[in-house]
Amino acid sequence: MFESFRPNSLKDLLTLIDGRECYKFAGGTDLYIRKRQWQGAERKFDKDVAFIGHLDELRGIERDGYAFHIKACTTQNDVVNSSILPEYIRVPYRLMGNPAIRNTATVGGNIANAAQVADSLPILYATDALLLLKSILGSRIVRIQDFIVGKYRTNLAKNEIIEEVIVPDGNFNGYAYRKIGSRKASILSKLSIFIVYRKENQILEDVRVCIGAVNEIPIRSPEAEKIFLKNHDIEAFLLHLKKMFDAETDKRSTKFYREEVSIRLVRHFLEKILEDGE
Amino acid sequence: MMIEFELNGEKVKIESTLSMRLLDVIRNDFNLTGTKEGCSEGECGACIVFLDDQIVNSCMVPMSNVIGRRIETIEGFSKTERYQIIERAFIEEGAVQCGFCTPGMIMATESILRKGGPITDELIKEGLSGNICRCTGYQTIYNAVQAVLKEVQAHV
Repeated sequence: MFESFRPNSLKDLLTLIDGRECYKFAGGTDLYIRKRQWQGAERKFDKDVAFIGHLDELRGIERDGYAFHIKACTTQNDVVNSSILPEYIRVPYRLMGNPAIRNTATVGGNIANAAQVADSLPILYATDALLLLKSILGSRIVRIQDFIVGKYRTNLAKNEIIEEVIVPDGNFNGYAYRKIGSRKASILSKLSIFIVYRKENQILEDVRVCIGAVNEIPIRSPEAEKIFLKNHDIEAFLLHLKKMFDAETDKRSTKFYREEVSIRLVRHFLEKILEDGE
Repeated sequence: MMIEFELNGEKVKIESTLSMRLLDVIRNDFNLTGTKEGCSEGECGACIVFLDDQIVNSCMVPMSNVIGRRIETIEGFSKTERYQIIERAFIEEGAVQCGFCTPGMIMATESILRKGGPITDELIKEGLSGNICRCTGYQTIYNAVQAVLKEVQAHV
């Protein structure tokens, strides 16, 4: 048996989860399916559930001089339709699920769920996003790379909630994104490539490359990016990425397919980025 | 617990639980069976309803997220003038085969129209992308939506 709770405020929620282990149920587009039952039957959760999708305090998008702030229960379509967020943040969300799913699935949910195929992670890794975590004891800010530990595993403490996602404004002026799946909508990625960069006066000043859904967690190497910015050696950069591959063949595709296509796409995009304006 | 919300324009109260699916409440407690259960995981769109004017898959909405909000099912929407236009177009284009996906397709069509602004072919495809037709009658459904658009735009 489990108990369900619907706290009236963020403060009530933090009090509730202090000492009581709960699923934090926002949009539920993943959690609900995993607890699937027969028609008309109550879903069977194996621990208590705190419903948080109604908390307006956890919804909204803001911008300050340094970063974009997205509250955890902001829906994916709120991101897609945002007039504040730049296109490179909105595009990956626009290709997730389908319109009805995006109206309920949340930004925080995709992160906390930490699926291997979570399509929001590559953009968050590439932009060095931060998470504002909150508990009754206080707040802490962690890097997304330190938060995601593995497939479905994060560093979120039982008494904590993701309050906000902070995406630093890197003054990027270009991006490339490609999601590969068996079809366009409602599909788990076989892989996804997200690249964001800044080019001023035909000089590449910053570039971030992230590969999602291949390994258990997104692949990115800031060290290799730094070297690439100096030498523009695409093959050396790809060699570095290849060494990071740790994929396994699963129902989505083979290891070989995911790794090979990733390399070819990154090569294609980097060639294009270097060519443009040179 | 007693859960209150608005269903097809009427304030309703129902004894249910926070974790019960909206789909089950609509079909079993209110006997509104126009909303169908297909895949049960948000991919087929047969269970689409409007929640505060946005389409959602009711198989993935817990009653906790419905409290105090407005739900519109195909039964409620069928009383509108616009429904009549969509129904006519679906019939004339032969867009209904077995009919199981049709309520969801109609709700998705309406959501495309409610977005407003210019509607491109790409937007129609995206708007229907969360709905699966096992009879594979996609082209006729797509044609029907285009016919609806023509008629709606002619009346503007």
